[in-house]
Amino acid sequence: MSGIWLAVSLLVLAGAAYWLARRRQQNLALLRNRLVAVTQSVRQTGDNIAHDLRTPLTRLRADVEAALRQEDGKVHRAALERVLDEIQGMQNIINALLALGQAEAGGMRVKKKTVDLTGLLMEMIELYAPSAEERQLTLKGRIDPNLTIEADRQLLARILSNLLDNELKYVPAGGLIMLSAAARGDKLEILVEDNGPGIPEDMRDKIFERFARLDPSRTVSSGAGLGLSLVRAFARVLQGDARVIESSLGGAAFIVTLSTSAADVSRPAP
Amino acid sequence: MLKLLIIEDDVAAAASLKHGLEESGYAVELAHDGESGLQQARDGDHDLWVIDVMLPKRDGLALLKMLRDEGRRAPALILSALGKVDDRVNGLRAGGDDYVVKPYAFVELLARIEALLRRARSLSSPETVLQLADLKMDLLGRAVTRAGQEIDLQPREFDLLEYLMRHAGQVVTRTMLLENVWEYFFDPQTNVVDVHISRLRQKIDKSFSPPLLHTVRGTGYILRMEP
Ligand SMILES: Nc1ncnc2c1ncn2[C@@H]1O[C@H](COP(=O)(O)OP(=O)(O)OP(=O)(O)O)[C@@H](O)[C@H]1O
Ligand SMILES: [Mg+2]
Repeated sequence: MSGIWLAVSLLVLAGAAYWLARRRQQNLALLRNRLVAVTQSVRQTGDNIAHDLRTPLTRLRADVEAALRQEDGKVHRAALERVLDEIQGMQNIINALLALGQAEAGGMRVKKKTVDLTGLLMEMIELYAPSAEERQLTLKGRIDPNLTIEADRQLLARILSNLLDNELKYVPAGGLIMLSAAARGDKLEILVEDNGPGIPEDMRDKIFERFARLDPSRTVSSGAGLGLSLVRAFARVLQGDARVIESSLGGAAFIVTLSTSAADVSRPAP
Repeated sequence: MLKLLIIEDDVAAAASLKHGLEESGYAVELAHDGESGLQQARDGDHDLWVIDVMLPKRDGLALLKMLRDEGRRAPALILSALGKVDDRVNGLRAGGDDYVVKPYAFVELLARIEALLRRARSLSSPETVLQLADLKMDLLGRAVTRAGQEIDLQPREFDLLEYLMRHAGQVVTRTMLLENVWEYFFDPQTNVVDVHISRLRQKIDKSFSPPLLHTVRGTGYILRMEP
């Protein structure tokens, strides 16, 4: 899991520390600080994973035990169906963590190609518009024509899909979602914004961390809090970044900035 | 009876897969490592291979590449360990025809096996008109009619229907639709595909009978005459 990547970087740092210790004493302090930071991050991620998998496991166990106390085939069937849902949820968490680990460790190979970004954004609107409409949300696009980028289409689509999934989840019925994109010098800016509840200022950085959610309660249907960490990690793989500000529409505005020539990039920006 | 070869070293997983596929009407042979898998694939006359990537003695992709280099053409479905982003590309490059990530849902695997077998059979005849009951699709003129009445479809709805028509009588999963109709190789969290399907259903089924586009609970969709 992602912990493995952190553990690997820990080992690498430890090796480097040993090597440098023999040459220059003063670098050691610096490295020790980095080691401490990485260790903390390993521990924290480990705790979160444990917590996040323990919650569904607890539910699973209670469900199965309750079902086993009865003889009714219908009850068994219903329990098994919930078990399958929980397993799917856990699988999603593990998948997301693996993708995150790969992206953050620079192990994600990017298939660079010229992507018609305007076309891709229109496609995403087309894909999500019916679902938005069903939730009584309006999804609009304001996309400059002829935007292209050297990047990986799947990665771009996953960034957008995570942001749009959130819009559909967190913007209440009747709301407006706006997807816009424009070139700014040698950069491209993609904006996903809404007139929903927004993100409080003190949470705007935090929300991109693993497992961070505004509503900390976790149910089967609520997310794990990994979507935005994936958005940021993938944006960085494409030599860009992601952040959130207050939207002029009143809600949240997620901004993904990408460099137009993310071509030779195969590792995340520092 | 169609004959499948499963090359998978996890004995329990292979056994339950064999059981499920036999229940679905296939004859199934098992191999538990790369060497015997290669031998059995060479000796047997299989209609399809299911190949795990990580195998003892010889890895799945190398094995498949050897078989392809020897000119063997059975469709191959690759099973890979969870989460490697490049695996799909590598799998297809080694000569795989489709790809499923572990842990997979059995119905997903079954649907893909059936799609591959169907594709292998119909590869020779590129159709220009598809038909199911009174629903007709003219692929060249991009026109759709039901009971002689013209049905107006958006371009994506047309592609969606074409895919369903090409797999008529066979379950297709949401993931298969995302991959083949939209070319996205990941699953959004939102039920985006379902909503597109229900719109398509409105157009092709609502004022006609019998209904043709059915939901298969927990799995996906099927286009066919019987409910
Ligand atoms: N458009 C938005 N408006 C308001 N709050 C949002 C919006 N997008 C995200 N959030 C808040 O940010 C949190 C983190 O989002 P993120 O996508 O990382 O996780 P998630 O949606 O909870 O779970 P996951 O994406 O892993 O299924 C959400 O739980 C939600 O509280
Ligand atoms: Mg999310």
